[in-house]
Amino acid sequence: MAKNKVRKTFLEPLGKNNPVFVQILGICSTLAVTNKLQNTMVMTLGVMFTTALSSWTISLLRNHIPSRIRMMVETMVIATFVIIVDIVLKAFYPEMWKQLGPYVGLIITNCIVMGRVEAFALQNKPTLSLIDGLASGLGYAYVLLAIAFVRELLGTGSLWGYRILGSWWTNWSIMIMPPGGFFVLAILIWIIRETIMKETNHA
Amino acid sequence: MKVQSAFYRDRIYPLLFMFLTTFFCILLTAGIHLTTLDRANANELSFARKAVLDAAGIAYVNTTAGIEEAYLKSIEEADGYFTTSSPDGKRFIIPLEGPGLWGTISLMVGFEEDLQTFAGVAIVSQNETPGLGARIEEPWFTTQFEGKQAPFTLVEEGTATAENEVDAITGATRTSEYFRNLANQASDAAKSIVGGE
Repeated sequence: MAKNKVRKTFLEPLGKNNPVFVQILGICSTLAVTNKLQNTMVMTLGVMFTTALSSWTISLLRNHIPSRIRMMVETMVIATFVIIVDIVLKAFYPEMWKQLGPYVGLIITNCIVMGRVEAFALQNKPTLSLIDGLASGLGYAYVLLAIAFVRELLGTGSLWGYRILGSWWTNWSIMIMPPGGFFVLAILIWIIRETIMKETNHA
Repeated sequence: MKVQSAFYRDRIYPLLFMFLTTFFCILLTAGIHLTTLDRANANELSFARKAVLDAAGIAYVNTTAGIEEAYLKSIEEADGYFTTSSPDGKRFIIPLEGPGLWGTISLMVGFEEDLQTFAGVAIVSQNETPGLGARIEEPWFTTQFEGKQAPFTLVEEGTATAENEVDAITGATRTSEYFRNLANQASDAAKSIVGGE
């Protein structure tokens, strides 16, 4: 029973309750940081760290937080973890930190983090909340990496900074500009909803 | 008595709770910030030194230690600019800043002794469109200024032939123009910074 719940908590954000293509959360960063696989990887790791640990922390405190100020406490905890990510990146991966610019700080406003804290961590035990947060981060991560894969490949002809396509390839510059993010995300959501989601809905 | 406890529950407790949360959060972030401060400062310094070396056209190993070694060996700091001595004479490296399409572009420009001929260009920071204007950071763009003199003329990407022509970036015409303007002002700026020397 308990094992089942853990399993369900972990699998739901990856599939039928995915934060990006089902709940359509965190779209701002989905569009902003997916033009290079490397940046996307670091960004999604940051989000996973933040969702997991803020869900865990809030869940630990859930019986003590006065409900009228719970949003303030949540934001404070989330901001703390994001700033930790920012400081660590700045100190140890300065090149990456420079490239990501303001987007690391903007994890604070990522709806997925706040959404999981509000919807899950306030009602559940710390360990389960940690798993939920981590899984939500993972669900976010793989969708973003898929988008980044398409955008970097078509936009620059490379993957992870290495040239993949030959010189015959003409870069689709639009792919690495903001409109490219909209196109790829919309097409991805459409494909997933038309194929995989449709079957599960009918079943 | 009941009134007092409601007052505590509704007013004092939330205040205390928020205060304590804030206190611990700030303690944690400030602690991590202070322990990594030296490293972050070293990174900043390394970035700045790397730009100076690039502009001076000096080869170096691309690690923090490699940059430091090359910098200390061959760069001399002067008031507001840098110099280096090469077999062909002295080179001057000056910092320069100007508007780009989205924000300020700041760069290091290296000049030969005449303060006219470019020895190298390195971008310190820029905020141009990723994949388009941001390509001003790519070596093929920056190296094409080497050995040339202002005023520069922009031509289509891949077609520069004449002495003062540089390739513009396809899809980033405005950024290219802003960059050309900066490069055209660079020599005058260098003369006024270096002064009578």
